[in-house]
Amino acid sequence: MTSTVTDGGTPTSPGITSLDELHAYLYAAMQLEHATIPPYLTALYSLHSGTNSDAWHILRVIVVEEMLHLSLAANVLNATGGTPDLTRPGFVPAYPAYLPDGETDFEVDLQPLSLYAVQTVLKIERPGQAPSEEARLQPRARSDRTLLAASPTQPGMQFYSIGEFYREISRGIQYLHDEYARGGKELFTGDPSRQVTPEYFYSGGGEAIAVTDLGSALDALNFIAGQGEGLGGGIYDSEEELAHYYRFEQLQLGRYYVKGDQPYKPTGPSFDIDWTAVYPVLKNARLADYPEGSEVYQAALDFNHSYAEFLELLTRAFNGQPALLLDAVPRMMRFRDEICRLIRNPVPGRPGVHAAPTFELGGAK
Amino acid sequence: MIFPPGATARTDPATVSETVYDAVIVGGGIAGSIIADQLSRAGQRVLILEAGLAKDLTISGYEDYLTTFYGAVSKDNQAPYPVNPDVPMPRSADVRQITPGKPDTAGYLVQNGPYASDFTYTRVLAGTTMHWEAKVLRLLPEDFEMASRYGQGLDWPIGYDDLEPYYRDAEREIGVSADVDDQAYLGVQFPPGYVFPMRGLPLSYLDQMVAKGVDGTDVELDGEHVTLKVRPFPQGRNGIPNPAYDGGKGYTPVGAVSTHQVQMGGRCQGNNNCVPLCPVQAKYHAGKTLAKALGNGVELLAQAVAYKVHVDPGNGRVTHIEFRRYHDPSSAEYVTGTARGRLYVLASIAIENARLMLASGLNSTSGLMGRHLMDHAYLLNWALLPQIAGTGRGTNSTGGITDLRGGAFRRTLAGFAVDIHNDGWGWATGSPATDLLRIVDDQNKFGPALRRALVDQVSRQLLLAFMLDVPPTTGNRVSVDPGYRDQLGNMRPVITYSIPDYTMRGAAFARQLARRLFERLGAEDYTAYDPADYGYVSYEGQGYAIRGGNHLGGTHIMGTSPARSVVDATLRSWDHQNLYLASGGAMPTIGTANVTLTIAALCFKSAGHMIEQLRAEQAPAVLSGS
Repeated sequence: MTSTVTDGGTPTSPGITSLDELHAYLYAAMQLEHATIPPYLTALYSLHSGTNSDAWHILRVIVVEEMLHLSLAANVLNATGGTPDLTRPGFVPAYPAYLPDGETDFEVDLQPLSLYAVQTVLKIERPGQAPSEEARLQPRARSDRTLLAASPTQPGMQFYSIGEFYREISRGIQYLHDEYARGGKELFTGDPSRQVTPEYFYSGGGEAIAVTDLGSALDALNFIAGQGEGLGGGIYDSEEELAHYYRFEQLQLGRYYVKGDQPYKPTGPSFDIDWTAVYPVLKNARLADYPEGSEVYQAALDFNHSYAEFLELLTRAFNGQPALLLDAVPRMMRFRDEICRLIRNPVPGRPGVHAAPTFELGGAK
Repeated sequence: MIFPPGATARTDPATVSETVYDAVIVGGGIAGSIIADQLSRAGQRVLILEAGLAKDLTISGYEDYLTTFYGAVSKDNQAPYPVNPDVPMPRSADVRQITPGKPDTAGYLVQNGPYASDFTYTRVLAGTTMHWEAKVLRLLPEDFEMASRYGQGLDWPIGYDDLEPYYRDAEREIGVSADVDDQAYLGVQFPPGYVFPMRGLPLSYLDQMVAKGVDGTDVELDGEHVTLKVRPFPQGRNGIPNPAYDGGKGYTPVGAVSTHQVQMGGRCQGNNNCVPLCPVQAKYHAGKTLAKALGNGVELLAQAVAYKVHVDPGNGRVTHIEFRRYHDPSSAEYVTGTARGRLYVLASIAIENARLMLASGLNSTSGLMGRHLMDHAYLLNWALLPQIAGTGRGTNSTGGITDLRGGAFRRTLAGFAVDIHNDGWGWATGSPATDLLRIVDDQNKFGPALRRALVDQVSRQLLLAFMLDVPPTTGNRVSVDPGYRDQLGNMRPVITYSIPDYTMRGAAFARQLARRLFERLGAEDYTAYDPADYGYVSYEGQGYAIRGGNHLGGTHIMGTSPARSVVDATLRSWDHQNLYLASGGAMPTIGTANVTLTIAALCFKSAGHMIEQLRAEQAPAVLSGS
């Protein structure tokens, strides 16, 4: 999830001026990066087994990339002495959640794969630069729903776009680094052994960047933000990975990008998607949608429990035990079975509507 | 790894017929791909003739193989691959006991016996790496000197130290996961500071359970005492990159191959059906190297089965390779084509390299073409452990016993390595399918009781596969007979093979050792060799079922003189100065290491010589005058 970090212009908002504020922003960034994983997992496993190999692989890689972005946000937080906590109530949003898109918000849903869902996701990945410095931070359109990329420090305010949200963090880090330096202090005091390094992360559309100083922190943030549309508008990022937006757009266009292609004009091999080989999964399912005591109810409960354990495992991994990420991989593989147990079964009493994981972990706002 | 889109269709027979390439390579497996990659990097124009069908390698094409495999009743090594009568392959299911004096012609191999060999090799793009085990042991230094040290087999014209740098090249190319501390034994040495590209993969739970009984076992052989230990095997599958690799530059694992960017196969996931096919391509296959070679501009003509190597009778140099190009695997129709190069490389598997030379009437001055055929002889031993040991988890073989690969005892009996099989009794009994049938049909179990019985019986299975050295003998051979041809008219390999007594002495010892290890483990021995088994061999009053390992070597051995070998230490034919035979066939011994790593190392070494020769023989005009 991401967008391009842009720069230029003089900050007019007070921005991030303390370490606590920076940590609040980085926590919000982790929350934001994580929040796309449940929708992507739902779309991925809504595909009939053995069909739509191309779509399956594209979605799968995007999930892994989001895991990388999450890990990089944790690296920046750790490098500045923060404590990542994915078990905090409300870390997982209630769906539908919302993301800023200029003047309006758009909805992020747990839903099966469809052309419509692809179009929505493309919005997530689209860059957005505010038309003016004043417009970067604006009053929230609605306060009664879960908005990601809201200002974590100024209640009632939200960023114009995800890109602006990340821009704020980069500016804040730069500002604090300079402030600390002036006072003879070091911003990057985190224990390097808490960093997630390439040994522990793989097949994720890029390498894990260990954050130890200002340069690597900005690299990591640029990578998260830049993988959306690619830095400088190119379809490949600095590590020659296809940017998210274009990876996803391949689903819409039914054709792969290859090296040398221009945006929106892939020239690689074409492929078909069978949009009907998808389970009719209940959108934004909640436990309350399932009859209490039914098998799908129990399976949904079990999955939420399992997912909560997964977030606990990640929290431990991001708190000094990065090798635990190796255990997180088979854990994620088990999600396939646990999610399919829901998605391949109808909701009792609702013919033609299939169950889905609800990702309700308790404490959600 | 990106496969260049359209690369398999860049060249057509018309272009091939009009071109004199720098090098023409027969076979798009690991040997052909490495050599093509090396030569093309050096600016040489290279053509690969590939017998199989060759579409661009894609994830979905690979998944078609997987789907076929998942749906196949027989899960043998060739199960993923469609039948192609124009390029037939040997299958283990074709092997029958041989009636003396009557060759078995039912499968692709014509089996003269007396031993019926279940050699299988895969004739599709990327070759036998499409079903290999990816166990990548180096040979021991003593494996190069078997004749002078132990009076058995043959000496190589090169030693371990000569090949060592090329082993490192091969380990980089394949992407080997191992730790030096585990692999430095019996004289195997690494340069100071060397680390493998990736850290060693962990021993499976089953390995660890077996180690409890095995570690510390004292074995006396030929007056020497050896203490056994379960040790991890080096693996050609992706693990955690070692940051210290390449002087601190690290290593980036190569994952799945496709014409578009995919992110898969960066790490081994421990899939139990990793042989034949890794579901995520974390296991190396030659497509990873081939993609690079084609990216350098190497040309590939598929569906082109080499039919005959033509030579100039005056100077012995190869003039062209005649191939038969089919359009449809179900049809015997073909068009004859010719490929010309300044240099030729036969890079098929050992049996096919010799078969093509013999079918071309090129028996070599030594008369040894096709002789010294070797494959490891496997003796399977299976038992039930007293406790659930996690059988069925992990790739086929992650650890085993390697302490008896070498030693003075090799004067009298074959050395061996022992694989602990994470897939249980599958190889010996067809488990778990056979267990399921037995528990349902004979024990009448269903529901939870069936599930419990399966767990209780299958996850306690232990299979120790003893991989025994087979020395080179001139009697074990590939030959051809114009009376036996395939659909396209190519002569089929005729195999004459017996298991040498030297190996059987090792087998007899192995059987006793297996019993002892089972006893130490408290395991109940279920091993039984059926006299009706196709691989049944009697030795000193006992019978043993011997299986092949598909580690083919020795059909065109290298040596120091044209009178006693087929190729020199650079893999160049003694008789044909512009022909290299690049396969396990060049190996004078196979020791107790699976052959692919050594083949890859030999190819890296040989490619350097080829480049030198090509540069020395700049102008094609020199060829006819020389």
